[in-house]
Amino acid sequence: MTLSTFILKNAFRNKRRALLSVSSVAVSLFLLVTLQVALRELTLPVESPGAELRVCARNKVSLTNPLPARQRPIIEKIPGVEGVTPFTWFGGQYQNEGAMTFAQFAMDPKETRTVFTDFKLTDAELARFQSEKTAAIIGKISADKYHFKVGDHITLNSTVYPGALEFTIAGIFSGTADDRMMLFHQDYLDDSIGTPGLVGMWWLKVKTAEDMPRVITAINQAFANTAAEVRAESERAFQLGFISMLGNIKTLIASISTVVVFTLVLVTASTMSMAVRERFRELAILKALGFRRRELFVFILAESFGLAVAGAGLGIGAAYCAYTFGNINKMTHGIFVSFEVTPRIMGLAALVAVALGILSALAPALAVARMSVVNGLKTLD
Amino acid sequence: MALPLKYNFRNVLVRWRATLATMLGIALLVAVYVLVQALAVGLQKSASNTGDPRNVMIVRKGSTAESSSQVSLAQLQTIRYWPQIAHDEQGVPILSADVITLISQPRIDGRGEANVSVRGLTPAGRQLRPQVKLISGRWFTPGQREVTVSGKMARRFAGFQVGDTFRTAGNTLTVVGEFDGGSSAFDSEVWMDADEARSLFDRENYSSLLVRVTDPAAVQAITARIENDKRLPLRSETEVKYYSDQTATALPIRILGNFLATAMSVGAVFAAMNTMYASVGARTREIGTLRVLGFRRRSVLAGFILEGALLAAIGGALGCLLALPLDGYSTGTMSFNSFSETVFEFRITPWLATKGMIFSIIVGVIGSLLPALRASRLPVIAALKSV
Amino acid sequence: MAETIVKIRDLTKIYAQGEIQVTALDHITLDIAAGEFLALMGPSGSGKSTLLHIIAGVDRPTSGECLVQGVDVTKLNESQLADWRNQNVGFIFQTFNLIPVLTAAENVELPLLLTQLDRRQRRKQVETALEVVGLGDRAKHLPRQLSGGQEQRVAIARALVTDPKLIVADEPTGNLDSHSAQEVLTALQSLRRDAGKTIIMVTHDPKAAAFGTRQIHLEKGELSA
Repeated sequence: MTLSTFILKNAFRNKRRALLSVSSVAVSLFLLVTLQVALRELTLPVESPGAELRVCARNKVSLTNPLPARQRPIIEKIPGVEGVTPFTWFGGQYQNEGAMTFAQFAMDPKETRTVFTDFKLTDAELARFQSEKTAAIIGKISADKYHFKVGDHITLNSTVYPGALEFTIAGIFSGTADDRMMLFHQDYLDDSIGTPGLVGMWWLKVKTAEDMPRVITAINQAFANTAAEVRAESERAFQLGFISMLGNIKTLIASISTVVVFTLVLVTASTMSMAVRERFRELAILKALGFRRRELFVFILAESFGLAVAGAGLGIGAAYCAYTFGNINKMTHGIFVSFEVTPRIMGLAALVAVALGILSALAPALAVARMSVVNGLKTLD
Repeated sequence: MALPLKYNFRNVLVRWRATLATMLGIALLVAVYVLVQALAVGLQKSASNTGDPRNVMIVRKGSTAESSSQVSLAQLQTIRYWPQIAHDEQGVPILSADVITLISQPRIDGRGEANVSVRGLTPAGRQLRPQVKLISGRWFTPGQREVTVSGKMARRFAGFQVGDTFRTAGNTLTVVGEFDGGSSAFDSEVWMDADEARSLFDRENYSSLLVRVTDPAAVQAITARIENDKRLPLRSETEVKYYSDQTATALPIRILGNFLATAMSVGAVFAAMNTMYASVGARTREIGTLRVLGFRRRSVLAGFILEGALLAAIGGALGCLLALPLDGYSTGTMSFNSFSETVFEFRITPWLATKGMIFSIIVGVIGSLLPALRASRLPVIAALKSV
Repeated sequence: MAETIVKIRDLTKIYAQGEIQVTALDHITLDIAAGEFLALMGPSGSGKSTLLHIIAGVDRPTSGECLVQGVDVTKLNESQLADWRNQNVGFIFQTFNLIPVLTAAENVELPLLLTQLDRRQRRKQVETALEVVGLGDRAKHLPRQLSGGQEQRVAIARALVTDPKLIVADEPTGNLDSHSAQEVLTALQSLRRDAGKTIIMVTHDPKAAAFGTRQIHLEKGELSA
């Protein structure tokens, strides 16, 4: 029997206690990873290819105020602008669902590829979308959820415009930041229940990254002191603006996470301490046999560490598997589309596990240091 | 015959050092649970505590928020002289045609902007909402570019103090007063004159109508009349019901709360289990003695479960106390319903605190179940011979 | 003379220790008369404690019978045994076994909680029992505030409080200094003499055994002289 087998045998002598300790650590770290990932998803704007070259322009008063359609030719003429499309929120409800689970926007289909380079759509589907006025394309996530197929007719009741519109699904796309949304013709909206002459906002693509600041300034200036002043900003800035609207919620989640993890770490450390405290008798005997304090510390630390590492592997591993192979959309009722467990987050959790291992070895180690052999043996009774 | 309560109680207290971490863990679990629930309750209450039962709200059929509703001038004129609408002493119908606009304003802490709900009211609008009271300054003057803001909003946004001015839609507005919305949806609004709002934001139509009805039966009459008139694409509801139907952003908070509660309680159950196992382990001789004296297995079982519950209850009470200072704490976030900043308070109701306590006791009972079973199954003599 | 209070016939106890079968008691036959102070002696592993436990209804034999006042304790089930013990046996342990969080009086009261007596009656019994062992003034002390000898006397009071016919003591002086041991043994003696209790004591100490009215020896599970 080697030293390590001795330590191992000891640690699992009380299997139930060891199991509980490992489970506690696993649960704590699973939770930590989950909260960190959630926080990151909430505060990090979604990276989508092409985002660096996209600009959005909205009414300066607020996003919910419309812009006049006549602004479009003015924007198109600005040097550096490659393509512009309107983007109008439809706010449609599907069937009898109370809350909208996917966004719908009216736009100019001819500009689809120009402005949204990341669309994955077959040429045939795109052609159909562009040629049929009542056509719409929808993201794969929603298509899967509602079992939509190309050719299906769907009707949506608008909560913003008076009435409902029927659409034909011309294609199903993927590869964008939000594969739940639906896009259709601005003309169709204008000709039926919309407000002709008004659009929600403008999305445009600039030719190069260097063009962007100039274009943004140009747009803002073009409409300064008009009835519909415009705020143009990069896509990234726009997303960040959205996030900041969530405001305190972010801080709230962050602080709750801290409290939660602190609690579990505290509890787990004490649990593991208890496990190690049971070793006192053996440690006293070992001390009587001639093992030095240093070596006893190693025993204690090794056991703590072993439990912590086992728990870490279990907890972090479970989180990684659940969120990489699970259906995030379904699990979170559509609130999160992606839930990425980054190496940085896993590293953080591992660090916490290490701290846990050290922390829970502390109290017993101190006690062992102070313990006289006689006292330790007394626990034999 | 049950073990004496004082035995269980004293054992819990006597082992406080060993059980402190677990008690603290349960305390924090309950505190987090109560706070997250209080958040959800606060959000919900802010929407539902709005409205006068004598008022009826009329919006466009199919719209889910006032800000996306449209009521035209013609529709207003049609409805204005209906007999179901009450009149004041001068014979003028008591109704308000409101214009809702969202404007993007910078937060007072400098951390970005948020949408603020601006309500343009006609003079009757204030009379229809007696729960809103002026707390400083004065009400806006019709015809002037003036606003009166909710006190709670003044604390959250830059330029909303009495005397400040801010720019929107190419114009400058002056803040002339603050009001208290009485813990309702109005606490998240900025008020101004309706016609000023229409000209400022270039709006042809109103957003909604609020009318005072003559008697409760008139509510039905108005609803029926609007339903049956094809020229009126509107719907009407009592004001109270309209706001209480606006379920705020509670869903994501609820989900977060449930997830946290579940995960944390698993950890707490493990902790309680470990603590109780340690307790049983340290008291095997004691348990054996009780059995020798004649106490039954089930008394031992009940005793340990009780101790677990007691332990957890102390933690739970501690947790409620920890959460309590946040009762009434005011904060705000974007409501997915109105798409604007909604102010609300943490509301810790007695029922919520009770739920927290029950939660903690359940955790304690579940955690001590296995250890208690173990204690009760100890054969009598093995316990006597224990080292 | 006096009636036979304990009749043991052909009592055998075999238990398994891992793979090995150990015979703790080998066909023991024994009569104990009421009012005896019996000292059970023998070396470690002789089975004396096992015999005591079976008589007290705390352990079961593999075969044979043990009648205490006509009741065959080997045939009672778990709950019946619990009740029987409560009414008929007072147990004194080597390690005192007082409940640490209860006061002396509360410890003595414990067995009474399983009876139908009301609070006033219980209090009276407790007072009496504590007076008998001379610790009336220590009623509110916790075990940790008492000396070893005092603790054991509280244990005796607890063993007495239900007025059982039988008192069993397993090495009652094993953890005591000689002075306290003396006190305890004297107390047991007077219980027999003045209260007519039957006392069965296991001990390995001949000096303690001398306090008894009869000494019997056990060796490897069998009785000798």
